[in-house]
Amino acid sequence: MTKEKKVSIIIDNRKVEAKAGLTILQAAREAGVDIPSLCALEHLPSYGACRLCVVEVDGIRGFPTSCTTPVDEGMVIRTDTAEVKTLRQEVLKLLLSEHPASCLFCGEQDDCKDFQGTIRKVGVTTGCRYCPNDSLCELQDITQKVGLTETSYPVYYRNFPVEKEDPFYDRDYNLCILCGRCVRVCNEIRLNGTLSFKQRGKLTTIGPAFARTHLEAGCEFCGACVAVCPTGALSAKASKWSGKPDEIVETTCPYCPTGCTLDLKVKDGEVVDVSADYDSPTEHGLICVKGRFAIPEYVLSPDRLATPTLLVPEGHDLVDWDGALDLAAEKIKEAGAKGSCVVVSPDLSNEDLFVAQRFAREVIGTEAILSPVLYDLGSDLRAFVDLVLTSEPIDCVESAKGILSIGLDTTYGFTPLGIAVKKAARKETALMTIDDGECNLDFLAEEAFQSDPEKWPEYLDGIMKSMSGNGKKGKAPSSFFKKGERNVAIVGPGAIFSKKRKEIFERVLSMRNDLGWKVIVCHPYTNLLGMLAMGAFPGLMPGSIKSDGVLKFKDPAAVVDLKGKRKVGYFVGEVPSDGMPQCDYIIYQNALPAPEGVKANINLPAALFTEVPGTTINFEGRILSFNKASEPFADSMADWWIMSGIAGRIKKGALKYSSLAGIQSEIKKVVPGFAGKDKKVPRKKVVMEGKAAEKAVSRKNTAEMPASFRGVPLHDHVAGMKVIEERRHK
Amino acid sequence: MPEQIQKVLGKHGRSPDELIPILQDVQAAFGYIAEDSVKVISRYLRISENQIYGVSSFYAQFRFTVPGRHGIKVCLGTACHVRGGSTLLDSLEHGLGIHCGETTEDKRFDVDRVACLGCCALSPVVQIDRDIYSRMTVNKLTELLKNYE
Repeated sequence: MTKEKKVSIIIDNRKVEAKAGLTILQAAREAGVDIPSLCALEHLPSYGACRLCVVEVDGIRGFPTSCTTPVDEGMVIRTDTAEVKTLRQEVLKLLLSEHPASCLFCGEQDDCKDFQGTIRKVGVTTGCRYCPNDSLCELQDITQKVGLTETSYPVYYRNFPVEKEDPFYDRDYNLCILCGRCVRVCNEIRLNGTLSFKQRGKLTTIGPAFARTHLEAGCEFCGACVAVCPTGALSAKASKWSGKPDEIVETTCPYCPTGCTLDLKVKDGEVVDVSADYDSPTEHGLICVKGRFAIPEYVLSPDRLATPTLLVPEGHDLVDWDGALDLAAEKIKEAGAKGSCVVVSPDLSNEDLFVAQRFAREVIGTEAILSPVLYDLGSDLRAFVDLVLTSEPIDCVESAKGILSIGLDTTYGFTPLGIAVKKAARKETALMTIDDGECNLDFLAEEAFQSDPEKWPEYLDGIMKSMSGNGKKGKAPSSFFKKGERNVAIVGPGAIFSKKRKEIFERVLSMRNDLGWKVIVCHPYTNLLGMLAMGAFPGLMPGSIKSDGVLKFKDPAAVVDLKGKRKVGYFVGEVPSDGMPQCDYIIYQNALPAPEGVKANINLPAALFTEVPGTTINFEGRILSFNKASEPFADSMADWWIMSGIAGRIKKGALKYSSLAGIQSEIKKVVPGFAGKDKKVPRKKVVMEGKAAEKAVSRKNTAEMPASFRGVPLHDHVAGMKVIEERRHK
Repeated sequence: MPEQIQKVLGKHGRSPDELIPILQDVQAAFGYIAEDSVKVISRYLRISENQIYGVSSFYAQFRFTVPGRHGIKVCLGTACHVRGGSTLLDSLEHGLGIHCGETTEDKRFDVDRVACLGCCALSPVVQIDRDIYSRMTVNKLTELLKNYE
């Protein structure tokens, strides 16, 4: 790497070496000199809205804002002179002339909280600090820093009603100081463009066009605006009054295979809120609504299974763990290898999947390790696994000449990929979209093909034909996809769950194999790669993805009876559903209850990813970890602990695990990639073994699959997701 | 309308810099900027409808409601203001049941304010369509409106 160019400057009589190209504000912060600012933010381009970061620079007239002025060789900067200080105070006073200031410089400030509650029969509280951001507020910090203790201007209260009609976050624009952080993050980082400044002067407000709600205006509910708001104007509904978190725990989002890094905010032992990590290598902090807002309500759902229960004619009997495990063991033993099956969720951690497959193979003696993937994909599973195992990382769209998205809308999922595509399309890349209606990428597309999925294969044929045609330009659709250039095809859920997926997969595979296309698959199965690598799959042993990245794949329908009725079904983190074998006796191990209509004979409460550690593999093959942020809910236990408990009761000494580390050391021995330093599972190609099963199962209704986790739809437990699902299916 | 707006767009390039000229042409062609027009412009320039609205609401020259058959402009420049311009505006808003910048339900009038019409000596003045009426009073204005259908 070439050495970065440096310039030497003087800040407050101190000689400082700064990287060329930095702004004065950045250089000062790197040198440990604190300049107050409300609108500058690390990941946002400079803006110069709040005027608080003014400094004195020799040779520059007036007081330049340090966030917009680049450093220059020999610059002499003073950040803390009396004049600058007075100016800042004046600027802040003007800012506060439209912001209720009682929490900023009231004489009773320190006592306010303590004496707020009064012992009366009526709901009276004294005090006027009603802002959800109290004690988290940047404005409070800045006021202190700038040393403002009173204001000489009257406060102009704008009297806007608080906007609460949208899901997930509320907006009180009476507290807004128009710093523009939310507008910039929405437009420049998320490339979404829901927020903009409206009107001008003292009538300025922030919001979408006309009188639309955020939902109507195309908001992704990524919460980026809430995270950057320096005041209490924007606040998350679920966590607005929880105050300063006690602890922040980094973890991985379990809701899709992207594997975004999340910072869980923990307060009083509960996960109350989530924020993005802009330094994460996979998604660069561009998380979607599910990771941002759908975790606390799911893991803290009042419906969580608290203790093991047994189904009795009168309802449910509470039992202790010993009783429940004894009974489960007895039932599985009775049913034997032929009469039972294990159904695992692709959302489980690697460790749980590893234990589950050992449980099925060694304890029960069956290859019937089933999962919804088998039933959703049916006879198209071979092609699907082929595409998934070789799916490219997100970065590959950056350098693409052409991008083709098939059945993908990234408003409420796969946002990091969606934003990368938007970024590319804004530059030189030609984007073409195929979807059954309007999708969020359409407006940046050279061509948007909206039609019934019936016609998609034909359309793909057209593209391939014109690419392999000899010099003749094909008809309209594909003249911008050229052979020999980097083209990326993205297969989205709309294609994976369409009636024509067989034909679509075939064509995408031949685009990849014959025409050199790169392919990215956006599917909902969080740890599908983990399932394959751990061997929690019929016919695949742990370590089936070899160290050279080759997977020899057998069609599961040829290995095991996928449909036949079973005496006992052991559902590990999964929900019995349409197409799966009928089971007379259901052992249901999950965090949230089975949907109505499912008769679970034994309920075993499982702890969730926020409560027990584990690892998962994202779509790029990265091994990522779930970290413990809170104690397991009530009596719930880790999935592996429960499985190990049942195993020991069926076969003395079987699957004896006392800790996660024990499982992990076994995995390291047999699964390539786990022991390595780069924490990546090798992926190269899939070799098909045997014939595809002729009669494969498939589910009826997969087209409208809601976002779910461990088989339970998010919208059953997260209020805002209901609104999102309704919107998705409009 | 779709064809008409395509015709307007056809005269412009697809760079976001073209936004204001396009808005001006659309307003000239239709008299206002409709929600549907914003949608079409958004697809054409590849910027979100919200951003377009943000820009267009910044400038006083753009309106988002259908203009009335007659446009009333009340001058609120310094001289007119001192001599009761705002009372005229209040009475109009009250009498027609609309706010500044809006159009009556029967599309007969729309009301707007202007900063100065350049005839301060005749203040307060009101402009209806292309005619300017000087030394207006609330009563005179009420009578005057009867002449416009």
